[in-house]
Amino acid sequence: MAFQNRNKFCYFKENGINEIDYKDVKLLRRFVNDQGKIMPRRVTGTSAKMHRKLVRAIKRSRAIALMPYVERGLDK
Amino acid sequence: MSFYETLYIVDPNLENRTLEKTMDEIGKELEKTKSKIINHRIWGKKRLAYVIERQKYGSYIIMQFEGGDQGKMFDFDTWMKLNNSVLRHMTVLLDEKPELYLEEKKPGESEPDEKQSASEAVVTDLESEKKVEEAENQDEKMEDEKSPEPKEVE
Repeated sequence: MAFQNRNKFCYFKENGINEIDYKDVKLLRRFVNDQGKIMPRRVTGTSAKMHRKLVRAIKRSRAIALMPYVERGLDK
Repeated sequence: MSFYETLYIVDPNLENRTLEKTMDEIGKELEKTKSKIINHRIWGKKRLAYVIERQKYGSYIIMQFEGGDQGKMFDFDTWMKLNNSVLRHMTVLLDEKPELYLEEKKPGESEPDEKQSASEAVVTDLESEKKVEEAENQDEKMEDEKSPEPKEVE
């Protein structure tokens, strides 16, 4: 896992990002696991404020088929 | 005034002319709500994260506008839902006024030649289409490889 064994920091605060665009799939992909589930804050270290925005962005991009609701992992 | 953004997915198999026609129709329908369209552009052909109406790919189109009559926006929403050429659509409130989208310029060119940039845009469009087609072909190959294998049930 990419997030384990690392000092936790908020990716968005570190990079000075204040708004998250739901169309930026490349960025959002970092915060879901291989099943497409949103990673918890305790794992990613995202600040509470940005995590709320992140969750909204991910859910929006799921609704418009940019990101999957469920990623089929095992049955492929 | 609030600014909004509608992102919608259109059947990828439509020809360029039909696509422009549907875009025009949608733009006209939106203008009935007294909204002012700022940007209306094709974002590109993309692979859908999941199948919608048996389509694996879709042409994404972005439309940014200044909100007009809010009551009529519901009508627009229903109209979009009933529109068969639109696979899916979503309207989102923007925080600030969207910038006018211009064709991508190369840094260094002070005054880009309009004709040239237009032709470049066409070329990039074609290239992206080619890429999509290639990806599609690869997908088919992958599926072909996988299909003979019997599915294991746990």
